[in-house]
Amino acid sequence: MDLSRRDFLKIAATAGGAAVATNSVVKTVLALGKRPVSLPQYIPTTCEMCFWRCGAIAKVVDGKVVKLDGNPIHPNSRGKLCARGHGGIGLLYDQDRLKTPLINTGAKAEGKFKKVSWDEALGYIADKMQKIKEKYGPESIALLTHGSISTYFIHLLQAFGSPNFAFPSFALCRGARDTAFEITFGEAVGNPERIDIQNSKVIVLIGSHLGENAHNSQCQEFAEAVGKGATVIVLDPRFSTAAGKAKYWLPIKPATDLAILLAWINIIINEGLYDKDYVARYTLGFNELAQAVKEYTPQWAEKETDIPATLIIETARVLGKNKPNVLIHPGRHTAWYSDNVQRQRAIAILVALLGAYGRPGGIYLSPKKKLEPVFLSEKDYPEHKPELNKGNYPFAGDEGLTHVIVKATLTEQPYPIKAWFITGTNIMKAMPNQKDTIKALEKLDLVVAVDIMPYDGVMLADVVLPECTYLERHDDFFVVKERALGVSLRQPVVQPMYETKPGWWIAKELGKRLGLEDYFPWNTLEEFLKTKAQIWGVDYSELVKKGYIEIPESSKPYLLPDENYKFKTPSGKIELYSQELKRHGFDPIPKYTKHEQPPEGWFRLIYGRAPVHTFSRTINNPSLWELMEENVAWINTKVAKKIGLNHGEYIVLVNQDGIKSNKVKAKVTERIRPDCIYLVHGFGSTSRFLRRAYLRGADDQQLITRYAVDPIAGTVGMRVNFVKITKEV
Amino acid sequence: MPKYVMVIDIERCIGCMACVIACKKENNVPEKHFRTRVVEEVRGEFPNLRMELRSELCNHCENAPCIDACPTRASHRAKDGTVQIDRKKCIGCKACILACPYDARYSHPEGFADKCSFCEHRLKEGKKPACVETCLGKSRIFGDLDNLSSEVVELLRRHDFSVRLEFAGTQPRVFYIKRSFTGGL
Amino acid sequence: MSEITITGLNAITHPYLKVWDWRIIIYLFLGGLSAGMLVMSSIANLRIPKQSVKELAKCVRAPFIAFITLAIGALFIILDLGKPQNLIWGYLTFQPLSLMSWGTWGIPIVLLLNALYILAVIPEEQRYRLKFPFLLKLSEKLASKVRALAKWNFVAGIFLGIYTGVLLSSFAAIPLWNNATLPILFLVSALSSGAAMIVVIAKKAEIKFLFTKIDIWLIVAELVIILLFFYGLYTSTAPYKKAIKPFFSFTSEHFIFSLALISIFLLLPLALRIKIGELREFEGGFQGDFTKSQVFRMNLAAVLVVVGSFILRAAIVYAGQLTKLSHY
Ligand SMILES: Nc1nc2c(c(=O)[nH]1)N[C@H]1C(S)=C(S)[C@@H](COP(=O)(O)OP(=O)(O)OC[C@H]3O[C@@H](n4cnc5c(=O)[nH]c(N)nc54)[C@H](O)[C@@H]3O)O[C@H]1N2
Ligand SMILES: Nc1nc2c(c(=O)[nH]1)N[C@H]1C(S)=C(S)[C@@H](COP(=O)(O)OP(=O)(O)OC[C@H]3O[C@@H](n4cnc5c(=O)[nH]c(N)nc54)[C@H](O)[C@@H]3O)O[C@H]1N2
Ligand code: SF4
Ligand code: SF4
Ligand code: SF4
Ligand code: SF4
Ligand code: SF4
Ligand SMILES: [Mo]
Repeated sequence: MDLSRRDFLKIAATAGGAAVATNSVVKTVLALGKRPVSLPQYIPTTCEMCFWRCGAIAKVVDGKVVKLDGNPIHPNSRGKLCARGHGGIGLLYDQDRLKTPLINTGAKAEGKFKKVSWDEALGYIADKMQKIKEKYGPESIALLTHGSISTYFIHLLQAFGSPNFAFPSFALCRGARDTAFEITFGEAVGNPERIDIQNSKVIVLIGSHLGENAHNSQCQEFAEAVGKGATVIVLDPRFSTAAGKAKYWLPIKPATDLAILLAWINIIINEGLYDKDYVARYTLGFNELAQAVKEYTPQWAEKETDIPATLIIETARVLGKNKPNVLIHPGRHTAWYSDNVQRQRAIAILVALLGAYGRPGGIYLSPKKKLEPVFLSEKDYPEHKPELNKGNYPFAGDEGLTHVIVKATLTEQPYPIKAWFITGTNIMKAMPNQKDTIKALEKLDLVVAVDIMPYDGVMLADVVLPECTYLERHDDFFVVKERALGVSLRQPVVQPMYETKPGWWIAKELGKRLGLEDYFPWNTLEEFLKTKAQIWGVDYSELVKKGYIEIPESSKPYLLPDENYKFKTPSGKIELYSQELKRHGFDPIPKYTKHEQPPEGWFRLIYGRAPVHTFSRTINNPSLWELMEENVAWINTKVAKKIGLNHGEYIVLVNQDGIKSNKVKAKVTERIRPDCIYLVHGFGSTSRFLRRAYLRGADDQQLITRYAVDPIAGTVGMRVNFVKITKEV
Repeated sequence: MPKYVMVIDIERCIGCMACVIACKKENNVPEKHFRTRVVEEVRGEFPNLRMELRSELCNHCENAPCIDACPTRASHRAKDGTVQIDRKKCIGCKACILACPYDARYSHPEGFADKCSFCEHRLKEGKKPACVETCLGKSRIFGDLDNLSSEVVELLRRHDFSVRLEFAGTQPRVFYIKRSFTGGL
Repeated sequence: MSEITITGLNAITHPYLKVWDWRIIIYLFLGGLSAGMLVMSSIANLRIPKQSVKELAKCVRAPFIAFITLAIGALFIILDLGKPQNLIWGYLTFQPLSLMSWGTWGIPIVLLLNALYILAVIPEEQRYRLKFPFLLKLSEKLASKVRALAKWNFVAGIFLGIYTGVLLSSFAAIPLWNNATLPILFLVSALSSGAAMIVVIAKKAEIKFLFTKIDIWLIVAELVIILLFFYGLYTSTAPYKKAIKPFFSFTSEHFIFSLALISIFLLLPLALRIKIGELREFEGGFQGDFTKSQVFRMNLAAVLVVVGSFILRAAIVYAGQLTKLSHY
């Protein structure tokens, strides 16, 4: 037989093919026993384990999130995530998540839920809302909200006709600070705070417990400064982690911070340590200030604060000598006492005297560019009765006041509130005086909670709607105002589990049932995001790949020498003396207010953060729970000795109104003043749907039955409760 | 071959615990077990207190008692000088857990001994260990001691350093640096 | 004052080690017991030279029981392994620094020698019990080698006795264990409990008496070594000194260790006292058999010794894991 050349080629080809085949057979044989694993996908998104909103990158293998990492190009994360950020996986795979819509079939707030379909749940809500609207007007529906879901529900409520919403983040958090800085500098310090901490030579932390307060990039910069040898001054009745880094820990008597601040101002002015050019160029009211603080001598402050006058003077000089590269941290949770705004004003004034605003190591300026708002719809909201959510507080912020909503519900003044939407906030843990909250709830015709977990507040609702977690949804863009301006994207890294839905979908679907579909003129949120990106001139597909895009040339952190910067105050200057405050009948320059101190045998209840938890929202998170299963009550060693209390022993705290806490372990420690007891906030959940968190540790909020209200901005003072220790558990 | 070491800057640790959980997720460490921890030590009496925060992990000792104790060579020194455990050789006798003076090891629920691997798998991909990458304080610094331009070499040149339980003679490759004092390692 | 808070603890190592438990204790105890019995039965076979091999063979029960004891002991350590299915890797290597490796190889070898010993000492009239013909043949062949095998088993017993102690003392991280006295203590206590066991199981008065005598010296030695063990640690540096604290503290959590020490110091001298009493009764040499009460007393003393050696091991294994080199 004659083999043609063609055949030969064919054979050669088959032989070659065979060889390849054998090769791969060999490979599979060798790989035997190894499960084929698909290549991991890395998807950028935005963290929502707290409100710092870091850029995160999810590593997804076979449809499961196995790891979350920080996005290196995102200024809030810089390639790193905090413990809670890493713990996002625990939230996603927590078996206790809300899985379907629920309707309470029991008595009000009984939490006797039956599973229902989305259609049924939304229909039920829409029906009730219409009835309430007919009877009381649409304003009778109030919204308590926090987190990214707020966007859609504020929109929905406004479209429906109610202006009455409130965030815990104002009255219970940053409100006092933002108000004080707006009054003084015409602008709030922002979130993330515009603090140039990494370049500070001196850092003053007034209660700010960085390290325990785990706001990512801020902690990174704090460590950077500490590493570079910055002098840290910490005012805290408790030896916090930050105090552990401090050269000066001033264990101040709680509620007396304003005394030290005023004394510092006094010394800095008296000793001529202030930045004279800066004060002359940018500020207004220096003489009045100098006059007003004369009485606040260090010796006087020593009596108020328990901090030796010598130390007050020494630290004031450290500030003065290192100006302007000094950071007086403006704080964040500033809802402490009845004079929050004035205390924060004193901080702002101090910042100005040291010339630290707009200077390296102080507070940097906001980005010089802006992104114009793009609304969820172009349609105007209907007319409505005047809003009640700001109460009678002339400086209350646009975020509203939670306690005013509660009060209005209770008193039906100025008009009744008949329904609450609770989206992304745990009203039982965030708001003081739980009794009032419950009483108010009992007056409501409808309580809807949109949440991801069955935390305490959710248990009280008539209808519960399960949102999917931040890892399973799109959200509106986050405009990041760091040193530069940027846009951060949240996109799903896995599909929603169970029957959970994104917040925007829930708002839109409810809107449809209320006849408000015109307010939701997009099919999916992503469609809206694409349009928005286009308007902003941001490449959406790049955003999908990178998670974050910086707006070029938007950064201008510092004042130029001799720059005639115009502040956004009415006068265009930094207002050391505030005309605005004066006009509303408040002290234009802070005056010291004395607060009640605990009587003998009682302790002031103070609280704060643990690095591995976010308020109450993570206490059931399997990944984070493992690092801290319950909180402990910090008690000074000498006090413990006096009452014969051992470290680790369970105790119960009782407050001035006889309210008893859940049992909590005593942490007997040198790290706290003898007149306070400290609890990490968020624990002691009473929701029996939480396998891990149920009745673990003590709830600080339960003991905060009394709260002060700052008359200026309506911010709340929560550190005004006294407790004593009992051993009966 | 590189000589991997970790330098821990005690002053820069802010106790954020990001490392503890990042390690767990990266290495799929089972519930209730840890490859690394953070120790907070406070000395003194109110109000004169000092605090030290330091992270701890396997020291990848040059003179590793855990390797000596292992009957099967499951615990061994890898080519890069790190101390590793070969899971398929481990019989779970726990001798290495007792042998380690640093409590660096634990018994995996599946039976074998486990500990910090210096994130061997990440090193192969040219990444830093997970705990180092996420360390908010940049308190954990990783590198090659043989690379004279590396950050670890620089840090060890500039600072006095100590190792945990030096008297145990294990010659750790995790070094602690601090400017003021070094507490009870 | 120092306050230590640790995040990320493993229960197996904090606040104290919980690595080895009762399984290891049983292993060490049974290993020691069988070590002692092997040594003692070998001594019996070597010390009574004038007797015929046939006579010697009456000691058969000791090696046999030693074998069973060791085999059960070995089972307990296998029970403790997290992954026994990987044991093969232990036999693909020998790690001279790893005491576990010595055990991995040593125990089967000891068992093998022990088995041969058993075959050698089986009395002719009992051989029919050996089911397999090759065993029968082997047994016949070995019978003549009894003395050599006794010597080998003596060595094996000493090895095993020391090994159980070295296994613990090799852990530099554990102050209570990490000293040279411990292996000697374990060896002596193993020998003592082995002698005691033989007293219990031996039928022949002569042998009972011989080992009662031997045990007296061993008990005395054991008590002295225990004292030296504690003294050595007490005079050492901080962690070592701290390591013996549990034995001398009466706090509720450590009371059990003090109790253990007290028991040891009650049981052993009591046994000693009884044994010396026996010795006195037979000062003039013995004739014929023991009375029932003599047997009872000898057995009682022996049981006290065995219990004492168990308590010793249990206390040292558990107490050792309470103290580390580091202070947390
Ligand atoms: N006593 C006391 N009170 C305080 C504070 C304190 O320290 N002590 N801190 C105050 C401060 S600073 C603040 S900012 C507030 C914080 O107050 P909140 O923001 O209300 O904080 P949490 O208690 O964590 O409750 C959050 C709720 O939102 C839910 N949630 C979390 N993620 C999502 C989501 O993606 N979608 C939806 N729909 N729900 C979600 C959680 O499951 C939980 O039910 O509390 C304030 N109140
Ligand atoms: N890990 C973690 N980090 C978080 C959060 C979280 O939930 N978890 N939440 C974030 C949010 S929204 C906020 S608002 C911030 C809050 O965090 P910060 O603003 O840093 O908290 P502070 O309100 O200052 O309260 C905490 C400290 O104040 C001290 N303190 C109590 N009373 C007084 C007093 O009268 N005077 C002085 N000087 N100090 C006092 C307490 O001892 C405690 O150390 O944390 C943010 N970061
Ligand atoms: S600070 Fe932590 S929890 Fe908050 S957004 Fe960033 S990574 Fe997430
Ligand atoms: S720290 Fe422990 S486990 Fe790590 S190498 Fe050293 S002895 Fe071995
Ligand atoms: S537990 Fe495993 S790694 Fe440890 S000594 Fe035993 S065999 Fe070796
Ligand atoms: S190097 Fe890797 S394994 Fe070791 S502690 Fe860090 S993250 Fe964990
Ligand atoms: S991540 Fe870094 S700063 Fe945070 S606790 Fe760990 S070592 Fe310390
Ligand atoms: Mo907050």
